[in-house]
Amino acid sequence: MDLLLDFIIVGLSIGIVYGLVALGISLIFSGLDIVHFAHGEVYMIGAFLGIAIVSISGVPYFGALVGAMIVTGAVGVVIERVFYRRLTRGGGGYTVAGMGMIICGFGMSVALQNVAYLIWGAAPHPYPVSFGMPIFLGNIALPKSYLYILVSALVLMAVLHTFLTRTKLGLAVRAVAYNKDTSYLMGVNVPAMISLIFGVACAMAAVAGVLIGPINYVQIEMGYLMLLKAFAAAVVGGFGSLPGALLGGVVVGLFETLCAGYLIASYKDIYAFLLLITVLMVRPTGLLGIIVKVKA
Amino acid sequence: MAEQAASLRFIDATERGLTRLRAVHPLAPWLVAFLLLAPLPWVLLNTYHVFLANFICVMILLSVGLNIVKGFCGQVTVGHVGLYAIGAYTAAVMSVNFGMTFWMSLPIAVMVTLLAGAVVGIPSFRLEGAYLALVTLGLGESVRIFISATEYLGATNGFSGIPAPRIGDFRFDTYQKYYYLVMPVMLLGVFFSFRILRSRLGRGFMAVREDPVAAAAAGVNVRGHKMIAFLISAGYAGFAGALYAHMIPGYLNPRNFTVIEMVTLLLMVVLGGLGHIWGGVIGAIIVTIVYDITKDYYHYSLLLFGSVIVLTVLFMPKGIGGIIDRFIATRRFIAIREGRATRPGSDDAA
Repeated sequence: MDLLLDFIIVGLSIGIVYGLVALGISLIFSGLDIVHFAHGEVYMIGAFLGIAIVSISGVPYFGALVGAMIVTGAVGVVIERVFYRRLTRGGGGYTVAGMGMIICGFGMSVALQNVAYLIWGAAPHPYPVSFGMPIFLGNIALPKSYLYILVSALVLMAVLHTFLTRTKLGLAVRAVAYNKDTSYLMGVNVPAMISLIFGVACAMAAVAGVLIGPINYVQIEMGYLMLLKAFAAAVVGGFGSLPGALLGGVVVGLFETLCAGYLIASYKDIYAFLLLITVLMVRPTGLLGIIVKVKA
Repeated sequence: MAEQAASLRFIDATERGLTRLRAVHPLAPWLVAFLLLAPLPWVLLNTYHVFLANFICVMILLSVGLNIVKGFCGQVTVGHVGLYAIGAYTAAVMSVNFGMTFWMSLPIAVMVTLLAGAVVGIPSFRLEGAYLALVTLGLGESVRIFISATEYLGATNGFSGIPAPRIGDFRFDTYQKYYYLVMPVMLLGVFFSFRILRSRLGRGFMAVREDPVAAAAAGVNVRGHKMIAFLISAGYAGFAGALYAHMIPGYLNPRNFTVIEMVTLLLMVVLGGLGHIWGGVIGAIIVTIVYDITKDYYHYSLLLFGSVIVLTVLFMPKGIGGIIDRFIATRRFIAIREGRATRPGSDDAA
């Protein structure tokens, strides 16, 4: 019983991290009609930037979180401006140019991974922070980092939701996601909004990276499987839906942890993928999918 | 001007030669290609270079197959390496654990890979673009994870002791001998890809790539064509995998089927020219040779390959094949503008 509860706690917190990355993928998809294949690498770079910032003496964990968010967001804006803008001019994600975007993202992901390798090396980096003793609830030890994940994710979701629904800028972002041509006509600065979407999405990935750092080691290969799992989370929750992305992340995290715990542990990375295929085949709109965008 | 005229004369001469050869017999150009490639192991003195020639042949098979499904049918599959791994491991298990000869294990490997290709192809009925790309990426990666976690397949230690193919007492146990097994198969593979792509089936693939709805309206069986494209490319991957498994030293490791191989394979097709009939061949030759030359700098190889992919997509979307096509077309255009006819035999006056 305690084992099950342990698995649930681990699955839940890993799942929230998946959800945060999935949130970014979902945001970019609704803004640009593309799946950003290098998002896993952005998450990895965010985690490394967090380490770099936290290593500066006197910076608290929270500072690293915000710093990594800002820097990674800027990196995201640069990526969008330099690479994706050229391609999105040729059409959205379902045209022939869309294949170019997928291939471009794939190439970018391995290039970024190599850059990270050249800077930080192949060895796993431990996170140089300590949260003190875990909290004991009966027999279960609950490390404080899991608590941090839960709280930061909830706060971030609330902020993002308020931003998207209550502010004028958020309205512009939603308008761009809904229809770019009409947004142009309404006087929305569409290219700036797309850059903003990309930056916010990359900042979310950085948060996920910094949050998972104290639980797992930070290493250059962490981004690659993350992309698959976050995509699975986005699909399970319903592509393009923000609460769905978080919910999907939790479902994927729990499913994966429970399967790895009670079935064969070495196939851990395959389970999320099985879930992805099943959902795509049976219910492509996902759990909360309202309408999947279909372009003719 | 002189350069242009020279290049034009070269293009014309090549085409005239090809036309004459085809007039003798449609298969004559392929025979000439075979005769030109046959003495290669004797020209290359270094055994390592012969190994490289063998490897290039395997890669050509793989990338030509991938170009059919990706470049011509427009289905973005990333996990092609998974099919290659399935082909290689099936051949290995068949010949080592069941004691079959190469001539039995090869068809079985191709069969199993075809089956796996069908499994990859089914999602393509409902999924498009990025969805399909991620599902195939996941399938390819699952194959690798499965292999490296299964003791029966050697897990991370690899699978060794795969015997070299033999006919009677003749064993293909050196790279020089193996070349004469893998090169004809490669030529046959390229030949079949030409025949397929210039047939009704190939035009159907292109129709599906350009617009599935319009293709369906024009009477093309979209699902059928997608499936056939996946099956053909899986067949190529099966051949490539079995040939790779039986090549000396007869050793397979899951590390030979990682994301790096996915990227190299992707780069081959993209750089050679997505949807160009020569794309897979050009790309496989260039990428394999460049990969080998830059082996000392392998720390940077992913950066190099990744950036080349990104830059190719941004600035050269049709790849090298597209550039050659455009070069020839430009030369033709200049010639016509200057009043020089391009009919064979009439450019001597220039």
